[in-house]
Amino acid sequence: MIRQLGNAEYKPPVIEVFELTDPQELEQARLQREQSDRNSKWLQQHITEVYAPANRGKIVCIAGEEAFFGDTVEEVAARATAAHPDDKGSFMRYIPRQKMTWIYAT
Amino acid sequence: MRLNGEWLQCVDGDIRPVIYGELLSSDGIWRGLEFLVDTGADRTVFSATALKRSMLSHFPPSIPIGGFGGVAETVVIQAQFRFSRDDGGTAVFRGQFAACTQVDALEMSVLGRDVLDMFALIVDRRADVLAIIGQNHTYAIQQQR
Repeated sequence: MIRQLGNAEYKPPVIEVFELTDPQELEQARLQREQSDRNSKWLQQHITEVYAPANRGKIVCIAGEEAFFGDTVEEVAARATAAHPDDKGSFMRYIPRQKMTWIYAT
Repeated sequence: MRLNGEWLQCVDGDIRPVIYGELLSSDGIWRGLEFLVDTGADRTVFSATALKRSMLSHFPPSIPIGGFGGVAETVVIQAQFRFSRDDGGTAVFRGQFAACTQVDALEMSVLGRDVLDMFALIVDRRADVLAIIGQNHTYAIQQQR
């Protein structure tokens, strides 16, 4: 649960929504999405190994259908990029130190 | 417009509604990230990993962001992120958003109601559907006979 705290006079910032129209940008986005889909699928198939106890408290980057672990974003990103420089569909997660159940509450 | 998410395994095998997107970094590169689709979150909040990876400049929050564990340390970023639409297009969102500064505060970024309230949202675990829909899309609820 994430709550916005503050007084009643607070006005949330405006969010603009628009569409990409440049064909080159759209093609790049499509290719990036294809790579990320492959990485996501790989993570789902290897979720038990990735979330193994030894990796608790670490940051993981999934790139090139491979997992890279480390303690800092910079370290993990550098290793993932060095191994898979052409993969634009990488993403990171933080692996929580301990098992917990998340709930919604007010 | 329809933006499709997925039900994905997260920590300890829990299955959660997640949508993949990309955040525009300060160097002009779109970098991938996952959002937990969270109807209980007042605001969209980027994880500390997403914040650090984006290298976006940030400034102090005007109001605090709280979670179940208390008030979280956050900053404000001017950000653009995008999602792929089911028709091959791309929807871009631009505005000011909160971002965590503590890596262990969030497993992944959170897509909150500041964004979700602009659309209809289908979160159906049984049917394996997670979809954000708007504009020329709609949905129907039918009674099975």
